[in-house]
Amino acid sequence: MGRFKHPGPGFLPFGLAIVLISLSLILIFTKRGKAKTPTPFWPHRTWLRPFLGVAILVFYAWIIQRLGFIITTFAFLLIWMRVIERLPWRTMISISIGTTAALYLIFVLFLEVPLPLGILKW
Amino acid sequence: MNEILEMFQGLSIGFGIAFSLNNLIFALIGAVLGTIVGILPGLGPAATISLLLPLSFKIGSPVSSIIMMAGIFYGAMYGGSTTSILVNIPGEAASVVTCIDGYQMALKGRAGPALGIAAIGSFIAGTIGVIGLSFVAPPLAEFALKFGPPEYFSLTLLGLLMATLLGGASIVKGLIMVVLGLLLGSVGLDPISGAVRFTWGFFMLQEGVDFVTLAMGMFGIGEILINLEKELTTELVTRKIAHLWPTLKDWAESKWAIIRGSFIGFFIGILPGGGAVISSLVSYAVEKKVSKHPEEFGKGAIQGVAGPESANNSAASTSFIPLLTLGIPGNASIAMIFAALLIQGVQPGPFLITEHPDVFWGVVASMYVGNVMLLILNLPMVGIWVQLLRVPYAILAPIIVLFCCIGVYSIRNTVFDIWVMGVFGVIGYLFRKVDMEPGPLILAFVLGPILERSLRQALLISAGSPLIFFTRPISGALMGFLFLFILIQVIMAFRKMRSKYKI
Repeated sequence: MGRFKHPGPGFLPFGLAIVLISLSLILIFTKRGKAKTPTPFWPHRTWLRPFLGVAILVFYAWIIQRLGFIITTFAFLLIWMRVIERLPWRTMISISIGTTAALYLIFVLFLEVPLPLGILKW
Repeated sequence: MNEILEMFQGLSIGFGIAFSLNNLIFALIGAVLGTIVGILPGLGPAATISLLLPLSFKIGSPVSSIIMMAGIFYGAMYGGSTTSILVNIPGEAASVVTCIDGYQMALKGRAGPALGIAAIGSFIAGTIGVIGLSFVAPPLAEFALKFGPPEYFSLTLLGLLMATLLGGASIVKGLIMVVLGLLLGSVGLDPISGAVRFTWGFFMLQEGVDFVTLAMGMFGIGEILINLEKELTTELVTRKIAHLWPTLKDWAESKWAIIRGSFIGFFIGILPGGGAVISSLVSYAVEKKVSKHPEEFGKGAIQGVAGPESANNSAASTSFIPLLTLGIPGNASIAMIFAALLIQGVQPGPFLITEHPDVFWGVVASMYVGNVMLLILNLPMVGIWVQLLRVPYAILAPIIVLFCCIGVYSIRNTVFDIWVMGVFGVIGYLFRKVDMEPGPLILAFVLGPILERSLRQALLISAGSPLIFFTRPISGALMGFLFLFILIQVIMAFRKMRSKYKI
C-alpha cells in the first residue's frame, strides 16, 4: 500500500474503500426511518421480461459456437419476439430473416469478423 | 494575430479532410444515427456510441470514426426535441425541459413552429459552439502544457465531483458510482509499479476490465433490460405537422433566447462535469427569469423551446473542448469518444492538436458540416423520422442486443466476452433499478488511471505532502473552486433540511 511519501499500488484502492464504506453508511442511515411502506422491488411480475431477456442472451452465447452464427441469430430473434413480445408470425419471420442477413453483411462480409459459422459454412 | 492565422490554417486543412467523400459519408451516418437515437426514447447517445465502439476497431482511420461518433452525439441533441414536442416523451435526457412548453405548443396546434425553432436554434447554437471550439481549444491546449501531475489530479477530481453533483438525483448514490468506477478502473496491472491488482487469479483480468465490454453491458444491455420492464407503448403520432417555418413573431420572441441559450451552453459545456443536460435546465430557468411574461411558461412559450434546445446543442459542441485539450472527458458520451480515440492510438490531451492536427481539425470541421446536414435532416425531413416512432420496441430491443453480442465478440473473437458483457448488463440493470445512473461510473472508470497516476506522481514530487495540491497556483485555484462548490452544496442541503424540519 505504501505511505504518503511512497504511494504504492494499494494506496488509491485503500482510500477508495474508506470513502465507499462511509458513503454506504450515510446512505443506510439517511434512508432509515423514511419509506414506511416498502415498495416491492419487482411489482407485478416485472422481473419476468428482463429475466427472459438475459436467459435468451445466455442461450445465444452458449449455442452460437455449436450451431453457428446464422441459425443462432435467426433463432434468437424469433424466440425473443415470440417469448417476450408475441408478434404476428409473418412479421417475426420476415424481420428475423432481414436482420440476420443485414448483420451477416455488416459483420461477416464487410468487417470480416471471423464469426463461427457452424454447419452453414460457405 | 498569429493564433488566428494558425486557426484558419488548421480549419482549411480540416475542411479538406472533412470534405473527402469517405468522411462526408461517416458524418452523414453519424448525423442520421444521432437523429434516430435522439428521436427514439429509451436509447441515448451514450448507449449508441458504445454500440459502435467495436466498429471503430475496424473503421481504421481515427478521424472517420470520431467524426461519426461526434455526429451521433450532437445529432441526438437535434432529434431529442422531436419526441419531447410531439408526444411529451424526452428522446434523451437533454430534452427533458423541452417537453414542458414544446408539448403545450403541440397541443395548441403549433407543433410545426416548435419543431422549426428547435431545429433552427440548434443549428445556430451548434455553429456558435463549434466556432467557440475552434477559437478556444488551441490556446487552452497550449495553456494545459503547463499542467503537471498536481494540476491533473485537481482537475480530474473537480470534473468527477461536478459531474456527480450536477448530474444525478442523489449525490451520495452518484458518489458511490464514482468510487465503484474508480475501483473497477484499478483492476489489472498497476500503472506505476506493475503490481497485479484485483484479478483474483484470472489471467484475463490482468489487462484490466475492457472498456468496450463494460460500456456495452452497462449502457447497451442494461438500458434494454430496464426498458423491457416498462412496457413501452408507442404512441402513434397522428398530428399533422405543418408550417415548420416559424412566423416573424415567433422569431422576434425567440431570437434572444437562442443567443442566450447558445452562450449558456457554451460555458457550461466547457466546465468539467458540465454538459448538455445541465445547460438545458439552466437555460430554461434563465428564460423564465428574464421573460416579461413568466406566466406563459408551461403553457407553450416558444422561448421555453428555443432556449434549452439551443443550449444543449452548443454545450454538445463545447464539451469536446476538455476532451481534446486536456484529455479529460466531462460526461458519459464523451467518455465513450475518449475510449474510441485511445482504441485508435490517439492520446487525447494537450498534445493532440500538435501531434494529430488532422484528427483535431478534421473533427472540428466535420462539425460545421454536420450541423448543416442536421438542419436539413431535421427541418424538411422531420416527418420521416417521426415514422420511426412506429417501430415497436419489440423489434428494436432484440436487434440492439444482437448488435451488442456480435460487436463485443468481434473485438477479441471470443464468446467469453459476451458472457462478461451479459454480467455487466445485469449489474447495470440492477443499478438503474435502485436509481443509480451508470454515467458517473463510466466516467470514473475512464478517469481512474489518470487520477491515480497523477495523485501518486504528485505525492512523489512533494515527498508525501498533500499541500502540493494547494500551493501551486493553477492546482490551488482548481481546488479552491472545488471546495467552494462543495460548500455551496452543503449550505443548500442544510437549508433544505432546515425548511423540512422547520427549525
